[in-house]
Amino acid sequence: MTGPEARLARLRGRSLPRSHNARTIAALASNPGCARRAILDAAGADKQRLAAYAGFPAPFGQSRFALARGNAFEAQVKAEGAAQLLTLLRTHLNLPIPEAHYDDLGEVGGNASLDLRHARTRTLLARAAASQDEAGTMFDHPLLRLEVGGRHAFLEPDLVAFRLHGRFHVIEIKSFAVIDGQADGDKVAAAAIQSAVYVLALRDALAEQHIPPEAVSHETILVCPENFSNRPVAVSLDVRKQLTVLRRQLSRMARIADLLDLLPPDLTFDLDPDRDGVPRRRPAELAAAIRQVEARYAPECLSTCEMCFFCRDEARGCTAALGRDAREELGGVEHVQTVLRLAGRIDRPAPGTDLAEAAALLRQAARLRAEALREAV
Amino acid sequence: MSTLTSLARAMAAASGTAQPACTVRHVHLSPRPLVFIPLALAGEANAPLAALVGDDPGAPNLLVVPEPRDRDLRFAFAADLAAVVLRYTASYCADQEPTGGRDPGLRYADAPQLLVPNPGGIAFTRLLGRSTRFRRAEGPYAVAESVPVLGRWLTFFADRTESPASSLMLAATDALSAHWATGQSPAEDRNLAVLLGWIDPPPGMSGAQAAALAEDPLRSPPTGPATDPTFDNEVLDQRILAVRTARLTGGGRAYQRAEAALTDALATQLTPTWTLMWRAAELLRGLPEAAHVRRRWDADKDAFTWHAGHIREGGPPQPRRDGAVSAAGRLANTERVQEMVAAQRAFDDPLVMAEYRMTGEAFAGRVAAAEPDRVDATGRRRVLRPRVTVETGDAVLAEPGATLTSPARPSQKARVIAVTEANGRTRVLLELQGGMGRALTPEPGSVPAIGEPVCYAAFGDGYQPPPAFPASEDTPWTHGGPPPRYVPADEDAREDWS
Amino acid sequence: MTEHVESLERRIGGLRTAVREAVLAGDRERAAALRRDLRQAEQDWEDALTQAEAATPQEAPPVQAVRSGAAQPTVGPAPRPGSEAREPAPLLPLREHVHQALSLLTVPAAPRLIATVHEAFFAGTFATARLTSLKRDEERSFRSAPFARPYYICAALTADLLAPARGLLAISTWPMERRVIGSLSLRVDFLTAAIRVVEAIERLPGPVPATRRLLWRFAASIPGAAAAAAQLDPFAVRQAAAAELDVHQATDQHVRQAAAQRARAQLDDAQQLFGTRTQLAPQIDRRRGS
Repeated sequence: MTGPEARLARLRGRSLPRSHNARTIAALASNPGCARRAILDAAGADKQRLAAYAGFPAPFGQSRFALARGNAFEAQVKAEGAAQLLTLLRTHLNLPIPEAHYDDLGEVGGNASLDLRHARTRTLLARAAASQDEAGTMFDHPLLRLEVGGRHAFLEPDLVAFRLHGRFHVIEIKSFAVIDGQADGDKVAAAAIQSAVYVLALRDALAEQHIPPEAVSHETILVCPENFSNRPVAVSLDVRKQLTVLRRQLSRMARIADLLDLLPPDLTFDLDPDRDGVPRRRPAELAAAIRQVEARYAPECLSTCEMCFFCRDEARGCTAALGRDAREELGGVEHVQTVLRLAGRIDRPAPGTDLAEAAALLRQAARLRAEALREAV
Repeated sequence: MSTLTSLARAMAAASGTAQPACTVRHVHLSPRPLVFIPLALAGEANAPLAALVGDDPGAPNLLVVPEPRDRDLRFAFAADLAAVVLRYTASYCADQEPTGGRDPGLRYADAPQLLVPNPGGIAFTRLLGRSTRFRRAEGPYAVAESVPVLGRWLTFFADRTESPASSLMLAATDALSAHWATGQSPAEDRNLAVLLGWIDPPPGMSGAQAAALAEDPLRSPPTGPATDPTFDNEVLDQRILAVRTARLTGGGRAYQRAEAALTDALATQLTPTWTLMWRAAELLRGLPEAAHVRRRWDADKDAFTWHAGHIREGGPPQPRRDGAVSAAGRLANTERVQEMVAAQRAFDDPLVMAEYRMTGEAFAGRVAAAEPDRVDATGRRRVLRPRVTVETGDAVLAEPGATLTSPARPSQKARVIAVTEANGRTRVLLELQGGMGRALTPEPGSVPAIGEPVCYAAFGDGYQPPPAFPASEDTPWTHGGPPPRYVPADEDAREDWS
Repeated sequence: MTEHVESLERRIGGLRTAVREAVLAGDRERAAALRRDLRQAEQDWEDALTQAEAATPQEAPPVQAVRSGAAQPTVGPAPRPGSEAREPAPLLPLREHVHQALSLLTVPAAPRLIATVHEAFFAGTFATARLTSLKRDEERSFRSAPFARPYYICAALTADLLAPARGLLAISTWPMERRVIGSLSLRVDFLTAAIRVVEAIERLPGPVPATRRLLWRFAASIPGAAAAAAQLDPFAVRQAAAAELDVHQATDQHVRQAAAQRARAQLDDAQQLFGTRTQLAPQIDRRRGS
């Protein structure tokens, strides 16, 4: 095992590694400055377990009903050579009738390593891209790879990449409904970012065979149930904006190797389980270990990361915890106590400093608030 | 968020207690609202699972769908819900009052009010309205007669939430967060139990402590429509399976037992929220009502009266999609109404006005000099044009020629004549017009006196006429032409609800 | 006796809460252990109840049915708690039912389709979960005594790797060409199956709603087959399916024939029926080295 790999394995300890998926990559991209998350995800650590054991369980979980519905809808759309999907593509994108091929790239006739599966995916997709005619229309379960923090993360999406006029389109099947042409904005936005992750990964796979990125279209397809039924409907998404944001954020992520260099060499998040699997490590010690890696908490973490309550507790007293724009609104001041001291004229920074500007703003706000409350009485 | 609201949050975080964000209540709160707490099955578009509904805190109605995927049972749930909701709305169709204004008429003396825990509850109501309002009471896919009527009412309530001036339907979290600042982020405010922990902690505990306890889903079940995943996986799954099995094996007593067990389980997830909702209503009721709330509620009463008549006369249900004209009209109307409501809130509430004082769109100070009897003789007639000089420490953005209004004298216009700054203070010379009576001397009190604290804003609370839009029959062809008249279709009645 | 039942109910409630707490704490081992205790407690409760009911007949407790209009199922014989969904009295073993359905379709098919076809044309249905072990059992049976039975429910093989295609069942007596799957084969087989369903419907003495629903499932995904479910015409479905089949057939046959030849040359009897599970074919390995 190479240097960083060995270090990451030591950090993770004895638990089984958890792999990246488009959701975790999208979350990382939305907070690229958080070293804690980057390291934990790279090491494949079980964030839920760690956060709970350290005393801050976060209520992340998926309902069996939602899972079952999602799986059932996906199975239905992909049944019989993806017959329903094919019909959608023919109507939605004028797919010509002869293009009805379906290849399951998850089939490798035995337990193949991720590298082998990825190699096979690359080969078959490249062959399709290079050939003029029927070398494949729909490719199910491709194994893709994306560089994150200088390391490769394998992505095993449930999507189907499909080829029309020589270009690949990423397809995402989701079970939230499109009602009268409209769907939940947050869910569509999340699907768009995830699709963009797959577009990048697909371009990555083809680039190794010297196929240009334009071979993967920035137009992806979202397949959802229509209205209140089980019938699928297809919606096109233009993910150019998401691609730009993703590329920028991923490039801003420090290389994992560099982050690891900053950490003590014997640092580990291992829980030291005994023979029956009961952890022996003291929770306070684990918490201290986690704190060795710097975090960057924002309220958005509450919906995307299992460490959120742990990091929120650390961030208590910081203006960042009050809201996304709170710190900026408070003149860029980092701590709540500082804000109150400036507003209450207890601290008087020297004129001309940054803090002086913030102080003036906060004093004015405090004055106006106090006056208003007095007037109301 | 603004500096003022962020400051309030910072103060709340430091003190461990929620801080006021408003000094008065800017929404109407009914003496008898209908509390509606829906729960939906995870993963579906809008599959009702259960609901608690009622207008009496001591008498909640618990409705349950024992098999959430059974279409007939869903419509039975809708019929049960209709019984409660329609009885409630009908109770407001008795007393009438005259409407004021240019076209006097009659409207109902009060209107119903629907309270749900959070914006998800509003979305659920909208979707439930959508999935029921097109159904029919006869034909092959018949449902109870009350179901499409329920659908139209639910759609009506949900649509009204799009207007910032309406209080016909409120989400408790939105209403509470508008009036209190907690020491957490706005995203965390969307949890009603946590929000109430900050605002109204039990004795012996700080708001922050109560809020932390309320985050445990085992202690405070989610207020819906989403259920807690561990509840779904460890409890609900089993109970629904038991009901299903009992149905298939045709067992009367086993079915009753299974249904009762399911009902009990769902009650554990709903009852705590019922208590929270009535607590939220009481907290809001405890705030003094803002002056303009009454006027906005009158508009709500008009809307309710119109819709009740529309339904009584058998009018068609709201269409699936807005036609181009009505969509553009609604958008422009919403912006206009938003501006009006913002202005009214500032006029009613010094803490809201303070936001505008921060930016310079409003300023407050004292009258330093006054010419209350000044007359302008330059025109054909002599007119009363008093002048006052206001001295303030606030920022002033207004320039000479601008027209300002004072909350204390909303019908009086103040024109800026001059703005001068000296020693960090600003003096504004204003010429006043209107609101003083018809004589050439002002009525007592209609002109601010020397030393009087005053406030002037660059906006008024007055009504602005809507922009001109073509009638919907004249929708230009570029926008798809006139919308088709709604004709009840078989496919609407038959639409899948799986 | 009711005290025992009630105390069990309290224990069950407590265990459920404990499981949820363990899940929230991310402690999977503890959650799993608690779930085991929970299952046991629930079984004890069922048994205690059954005993109590047997002892005191006709004592229906007044259940506070808060709902009105609940669709009450008809009262039937005393239910065995936890019993499975009603199944047809098994006249034939499962493999026979599968053989019946596949013979109607004449193409490899997935368990869901097999079950639906059987439900539409023959009596009763079966849980598709039971089919997952069927292929495994058939392979074991074949390996222990090859060709001892007149037919086996076997796999369909992927054309490129000759590995068992995921989720498909076939009949061993079919020629190899029919049991290999190229990239167009799933579509070709779907269209072929549609035609067979139409033919089976035409053989029926009268209309059967379940068959029309099945036909619509096919028609909805074949261009030109039917405008709407209400206007379903078997003849039109067959025409449309045949028309599209015409487009793909030659290419698909070509691939299948080549694959069948390779299978006969490279695989032994068992592998020809159930596929090969060995590592990837050499051609891929070579490419990886480059």
